[in-house]
Amino acid sequence: MENNLSIYNYEFSENKKAKEPLLWIGLVSIIMFFAGLTSAVIVSSTSSTWKIFTLPNTFWYSSIAIIISSITFQLGYSFVKKNNLLLPKLLFISTLILGFTFVYFQYEGLSYLYQQGIYATGNKSTTSSSYLYVLTVLHIFHLFFGIISLGVVTTKSLMNKYNSSNFLGIKLSLTYWHFLGILWLYLFMFLTIMMSK
Amino acid sequence: MDITHSEHKHHESFISKYLFSRDHKMIAKQFMITGFTMGFIGIIMSVLFRLQLGWPGEKFLINDLLLGSWANGGVIAPDKYLALVTMHGTIMVFFMLTAGLSGTFSNLLIPLQIGARDMASGFINMLSYWIFFVSCIVMLVSLGVEGGAASSGWTIYPPLSALPEAIPGSGLGMTLWLVSMALFITSSLIGSLNYIVTILNLRTKGMTFTRLPLTIWSFLVTAILGVLSFPVLLSAVLLLVFDRSFGTSFYLSDIYIGGQALERFGGSPILFEHLFWFLGHPEVYIVLLPSLGITSEIVSTMSRKPIFGYKFMIGSILAIGGLSFIVWGHHMFVTGMNPFLGAVFTITTLLIAIPSAIKVFNYLTTLWRGNIIFSPAMLFSIGLISTFITGGLTGLILGDATLDINVHDTYFVVGHFHIVMGLSAVFGTFAGVYHWFPKMFGKMMNNTWGQIHFWITIVTAYGVFFPMHFLGLAGVPRRYYTNSSFPMFDDFVNLNEIISIFAIIAFIGQFIFIFNFLYSIFKGRKASQNPWSSNTLEWTTPVEHIHGNWPGEIPEVHRWPYDYNKPGYEEFIPQNVPLKKGEVESV
Ligand code: HEM
Ligand SMILES: [Cu+2]
Repeated sequence: MENNLSIYNYEFSENKKAKEPLLWIGLVSIIMFFAGLTSAVIVSSTSSTWKIFTLPNTFWYSSIAIIISSITFQLGYSFVKKNNLLLPKLLFISTLILGFTFVYFQYEGLSYLYQQGIYATGNKSTTSSSYLYVLTVLHIFHLFFGIISLGVVTTKSLMNKYNSSNFLGIKLSLTYWHFLGILWLYLFMFLTIMMSK
Repeated sequence: MDITHSEHKHHESFISKYLFSRDHKMIAKQFMITGFTMGFIGIIMSVLFRLQLGWPGEKFLINDLLLGSWANGGVIAPDKYLALVTMHGTIMVFFMLTAGLSGTFSNLLIPLQIGARDMASGFINMLSYWIFFVSCIVMLVSLGVEGGAASSGWTIYPPLSALPEAIPGSGLGMTLWLVSMALFITSSLIGSLNYIVTILNLRTKGMTFTRLPLTIWSFLVTAILGVLSFPVLLSAVLLLVFDRSFGTSFYLSDIYIGGQALERFGGSPILFEHLFWFLGHPEVYIVLLPSLGITSEIVSTMSRKPIFGYKFMIGSILAIGGLSFIVWGHHMFVTGMNPFLGAVFTITTLLIAIPSAIKVFNYLTTLWRGNIIFSPAMLFSIGLISTFITGGLTGLILGDATLDINVHDTYFVVGHFHIVMGLSAVFGTFAGVYHWFPKMFGKMMNNTWGQIHFWITIVTAYGVFFPMHFLGLAGVPRRYYTNSSFPMFDDFVNLNEIISIFAIIAFIGQFIFIFNFLYSIFKGRKASQNPWSSNTLEWTTPVEHIHGNWPGEIPEVHRWPYDYNKPGYEEFIPQNVPLKKGEVESV
């Protein structure tokens, strides 16, 4: 199998062209994952034992945080594309801070529920409260990877690794981040409706 | 330790070449060996429990040897019978015919047939294989744990799967089943991502969508089905894990164990069925479509005729893929479903008959008056067409709610799905192996042994599964440990024996294939570059595998892959041959 045939010397470089579509199709599978879970909520909510309760206010704060974070991230990206490299550093750092703010408010919200006696598991829990915890925690689980990639983007930006001809990494991270924001807003709206039915 | 160390030094590249390879051709072989090994284990299980069904309560030495404590005194224990059926189903559907089949042929053929140097991401491809490998190991380990492997059927319906204390297999065995399947889903998802992106982005110049071989079309739709349906199974499995381990009640309500009421309220096991079958039905097409693609390719090449109705073939693959998402309810007609909803699912299900019939019609029309070469690959392809018809017809019966209610959960269902999904997919797999063996190993498989293998397989396969329809019509239920305790089934003792005898012969017959396969790898006749005079691009690569597939430039594509016996031109014209002056493209 020794290949004196191989005039073309193939290197296993990951194909750049393929990275964006890989991300998009990955997002499709995440959408299907949450579609599965939220349709489960709908099916369960038809049960006579479905309990309703109000969602904590802090979910509004976290929603605002994640919306602003999407804006700062987007702005940073546009500046990089225009080769303005200073502002993005600040914007990416703000995005990171806003990301953590989001997680903080989510945590606050869930602890508030817990103090109200609305539990995720155990015999005092109900299916509706379990779903609430499962969905929010799974969203944070996905956000965790978003924060890691945002951290990488911020670091690389601080090290001046990006410019107007090299920004694919930011674009990918940004797409995922926007997706997480939209996913949360969807979940928030969906839960609000289902938990008050 | 010393020996391995020096070994390592001599073959510096062994690990990167054979183990952690990122070359799609090597990964295809890895999937094939692993998937087929799992398949072999799955088939052995079926033969063992067929012994019990054919001769209930009889002692068999082989049980002692292979099952040990699962079959004390040579008779399979009742709870272990369920474990065997469950593992058999799981292994055949997921490990052999999802990962083994797609993993082998999507990996081998996608880059080669679309004219790409490799997959979009060699790394993800490698990762996909190794996660699959680990999931196989976990599944096999679960056979050995206390209480035995998962026993609630390959569909793992709660509450048996949701309460560790429900039956012996609901404990650690079930937990490992879930872990293994979570890994499996991950592997399958990232594999599918890679296939889709490769097909969409890395086609060579001229390889438009209407010049793609039908294999690639079917692999593409298969991968799309995977990306859309496996995440839903993952969500179902996740909720199940919460119910099992963290005390939630998504799938549980009003449960009593040993007369004791459990404090679990508000959930519903039917919810699980919905989520499961939303994956489950597309899954049967994930199993089937690659085989249909393989068959399209082989039927055309071996009849030396263009495939009939190429665009209709593409259309039906897409239609089958699309429809497969709105039919899941046909598995749930007896769950107390609203009859109106039942009617809707009946209609959507029966609609699938249309694209399926189109495919069959096109296969037959392609064969019609062809110069048919009955290679083993062609025989198995024709075998697939046969099982696709015979199994599809019973599908019409089961798809109709009013009829299904009478035979639900009987051997009629077992006969149906084994023929239409099991046999079709297995025949497609065999066809693919015989056809592309020269591409994989640079050697030819033995033709005569291939023919014998085919005839034994098709006769015994029908011998096993055809009589099951009669058992089912008579009311014999599936997943029962024995039929001898019910006087009303006494008339079927002989039939059950006959089925089991066919199963044993079928199993023994597969050794012909295994022998042929292994012998040919080492001692087979050397293959020429294009042994079947085929038009697709994989046969333009050198027989010896190289990284990047083509030594020079990637060939450019000028025509569809089915120019066989084009009037006025050569007997076959590969895709990379430019159109002659005045030649009109065939599609
Ligand atoms: C020699 C070949 C095979 C034989 C003799 C065989 C036999 C059987 C039998 C007797 C059952 C048990 C039915 C019951 O009690 O419900 C069964 C179940 C099953 N088999 Fe096979 N089978 C074979 C090959 C396959 C193949 C190729 C597939 C791939 C699709 C397959 C998939 C299944 C599934 C999904 C189940 C259902 C398991 C469950 O009920 O949870 N089998 N098989
Ligand atoms: Cu189905």
